[in-house]
Amino acid sequence: MTDSIRRTIVQSIGAAATLGPFAIGSASAQAHKGDIVIGASQPITGVFSFAGTAMNNGLNDYVAWRNSKGGVAGHKLRYVSEDSGFKLDQGVAIFKKIMAAEKPSFFYGDSTQWAKAVSQDAIASNAIMTSSTSLASVVADPAGMPQHIVPGATYPRLHEILMEYIARSSRGAAAKPNIAYVYADTEFGRDGIPGGKARAEKLGLPIVAEIVTKQSGIDVAPEVAKLRRAKPDIVIFQGYILAPMPEFVRQLREAGLNPQIMGTAWGLDKPAYDALGALGVKLSGVSMYRYGHETESSMINNMRQYLATARPEVKNISPFYISSWLSGMIFAEVAERCVKANKPLTLPNMKAALESMKEWDTGGITGLLADLSGHQIPVGRMYAYDSDKKTMEPASGWIKV
Amino acid sequence: MRTAVFHETFASEERLWDSPTARRWMLAFALSLFTLPWWGSDYLLAMACIVGIHVIATLGLNLTTGNAGLISLSHGAFLGVGCYTVAWLGKHGVPFWLTLPAAGFVTAALGLVVGLPSLRVKGLYLAIATLAAHFILTFVFREWESVTGGVPGTSIPRANLFGFEFHGDRRNFYLIFVCAFVMAVAARNLARTHIGRAFVAVRDRDFSAEILGVNLLRTKLLAFALGAFYAGVAGGLLGYFYGAITPEYFVLTLSVFYLAAIIVGGLGTVLGSVLGALFMTFVPELLRLVAHTSSQWFPGVAALLLPMGQVVFGVLIIFFLIFEPQGLAAIWSRIRRNFHLWPFKT
Repeated sequence: MTDSIRRTIVQSIGAAATLGPFAIGSASAQAHKGDIVIGASQPITGVFSFAGTAMNNGLNDYVAWRNSKGGVAGHKLRYVSEDSGFKLDQGVAIFKKIMAAEKPSFFYGDSTQWAKAVSQDAIASNAIMTSSTSLASVVADPAGMPQHIVPGATYPRLHEILMEYIARSSRGAAAKPNIAYVYADTEFGRDGIPGGKARAEKLGLPIVAEIVTKQSGIDVAPEVAKLRRAKPDIVIFQGYILAPMPEFVRQLREAGLNPQIMGTAWGLDKPAYDALGALGVKLSGVSMYRYGHETESSMINNMRQYLATARPEVKNISPFYISSWLSGMIFAEVAERCVKANKPLTLPNMKAALESMKEWDTGGITGLLADLSGHQIPVGRMYAYDSDKKTMEPASGWIKV
Repeated sequence: MRTAVFHETFASEERLWDSPTARRWMLAFALSLFTLPWWGSDYLLAMACIVGIHVIATLGLNLTTGNAGLISLSHGAFLGVGCYTVAWLGKHGVPFWLTLPAAGFVTAALGLVVGLPSLRVKGLYLAIATLAAHFILTFVFREWESVTGGVPGTSIPRANLFGFEFHGDRRNFYLIFVCAFVMAVAARNLARTHIGRAFVAVRDRDFSAEILGVNLLRTKLLAFALGAFYAGVAGGLLGYFYGAITPEYFVLTLSVFYLAAIIVGGLGTVLGSVLGALFMTFVPELLRLVAHTSSQWFPGVAALLLPMGQVVFGVLIIFFLIFEPQGLAAIWSRIRRNFHLWPFKT
């Protein structure tokens, strides 16, 4: 052994002996200690309570289920939620309260305006990621809202997928189908329309009517008269959970029109397809998740098994339940990646972990591997109502845009 | 027992807090509020900020409706005007110390326009006219995308006073607290001026007020403008507090919230505005807390109690309307009188 090699070895051992304890100390300081807390302000009461209860149950049940499987890299998940009443003041106050008392690493909120209102505080804390039921494009912004995750495709993406499907299914036909848009004058209603119209134009699909209505208390007759003049082959509803879709359909029938009725996301839930099914209409549209009755997804099977024991009264797994369960899965995956890399749960680390999830398996909730690098999962699939089974059944493969 | 307050000068009689006891209590109250950021939790501080904003807006509506008797259902939309004014000016580099007053003045100018129907109609008819103004304004919030950001909303740059940035609730609290305090004192003083007395005269009988020399045109429009000014400032502060806002915040229920606050608190009094805003903000919160706490001992109770909270809240408002139409301010006055005359009965 030459002198220089011996010197190098001695220097290395010396350096290791000197820096070793600090390195170990640093590593142990980086590791997350204690439970990983998920906070939530859920609209358990108020106008959105029908969804809020399901969202609260979904996240709560995911945490319980995950803990029963050993938690996240040796850490238990802990879920702390309070009722926001779907009021911004209350939702923000709950965020601040839970932030101060529980130091959560993740937080689930109830709306777009909530996500925007807490954004500055969340970024300033540098220690939290947020998600919500909102599919608005404005919150899927990795640069402006680096802490926020959309647990699915945004409304514009869903409408792009819908237009892609219409274009593909009408390929070879003599004429492109005439499409009419009917949407609510809310963010839920309007957000996806420009994206859908732009994709329709690109694909050469004619939009023959565009009707904007209030969210509720609508006089349908004059709007149906407009549709009667436009004679659409397809009417796409956006921004409604149920009403006024059945009334529209009934009056369209009376006017001698029988267009295909389509929708997206929350507008394809059981209340809508049951009500339209009772009128003999086959609702179809783009869903970002599989339905709760499907058996191809291992994770949805887990939900069903868990619900059978924990909430036997629940007969239908709503998309709101699946959405918040999926948010829980994303939170857990982000935490797991950070903990396994021995990195503390800071916003930059968690954001990097999220953006590294480019081919992440959602357990079949989405049919394709999820790419979360854009803080959303831009995939969807066409479903159509099956009047024999009285459920929504797949009508296409999974489409990514 | 306090027998009386003797005033030896006009200045003494004109004081806002006319006895040493009242001044001491006021000082203690102001001090406890001023030190809140040092001892209050983050949650309490956030709630205090929200209450402060609601107090300012409620003071404004109380001037228009409580003092001058002009019903306004566009107050929530006025908040939106203030909020979007601050957002737009802030984005164009206008400093905070100009944006906040500007929010007030822009909204006051709009208040003048909305108040025009009050010259011809009153009561329910005026309510409908202001309701129409509410819908027009919320339509503008949604559609004027270049200014308001449309349905997705807009963000508001942080308030910055000569390099001192109001970030976080602790700093925002002082901003809101100072504004609320100054505007409450201004409202209290206004009620004692000829303008305030003209408001009351118009409220009680506008024909008689006109015969007495009150200019109805000026008084009614001023009542609307002042109320809108308060709402504009409250809206501006709301924007700074949240940092982002969407049109969904300025719905009709917000106007109803403020209307309920002045009725529950007490029409035409500053104390009524403060107590009303406190009641309307904290009682639902308290009911929610009760439901949440009890669910720890009785699992499943929350699912029952949480929706019941809204029912209880509604019943409480009805209770006040029936048994104390003069609002919480009257209850507070009775309590004070009892203390003054203790141990004798009033």
